[in-house]
Amino acid sequence: MKNNVKIARIKASLKQEQLASRTGVTRQTIGLIEKGNYNPSLQLCVAIAKALNKTLDDLFWEVE
Amino acid sequence: MKSWMSFFLPDDEYREKMMLYFFSESAVILLLSLIGMIIYNHYFDISVVNALLISILIFLIYITGRYVVSGIEYTDVTTDKAYRKELKVIAIRVIGFFVILISVYLLLEGSDKWLKLILLTLSASIIWFFASLISLKRSYNKNKDLL
Repeated sequence: MKNNVKIARIKASLKQEQLASRTGVTRQTIGLIEKGNYNPSLQLCVAIAKALNKTLDDLFWEVE
Repeated sequence: MKSWMSFFLPDDEYREKMMLYFFSESAVILLLSLIGMIIYNHYFDISVVNALLISILIFLIYITGRYVVSGIEYTDVTTDKAYRKELKVIAIRVIGFFVILISVYLLLEGSDKWLKLILLTLSASIIWFFASLISLKRSYNKNKDLL
């Protein structure tokens, strides 16, 4: 699934490791989500959105 | 969702999902191998102990093998420095296992079968070391791609 997590994380000046510890997952999981190789659960999507001060739409909604 | 299975699963949701896949795949392979053994037993004799041992081995080896090659064990190893550090930890852990097991066995059982014991422990240590090495290498390569 395409998403804007990487862009939002870089804008928030966070490292993958920091985002991972804030959301309770591993750095590898954050990397996989950013690359679109793993679809996170809704619970994790919300945790990521909260950690980055974004909405789910900002991060995960595809706009043509 | 509550399940006693969660006791055996990691906290990270990606790793948890992967482990559930490995357990499920292994269960299906186990089922197929049991069906195969029933058919085999119809034509040739196979002892119950052997059948049970083969089944347990199939289940455990498949899950361990999939876990090792999936590269999900060392999730934070992304640099060459971290890789080398982890390699040292693995080597120390395996050597520690070998020394402690040999020492405990010699203290408790004496030294009658020491050669057999050393060979057995050495084989287990070598297998453990190479499994950890493969897992580390796969994890490192996977993590590098995700940076």
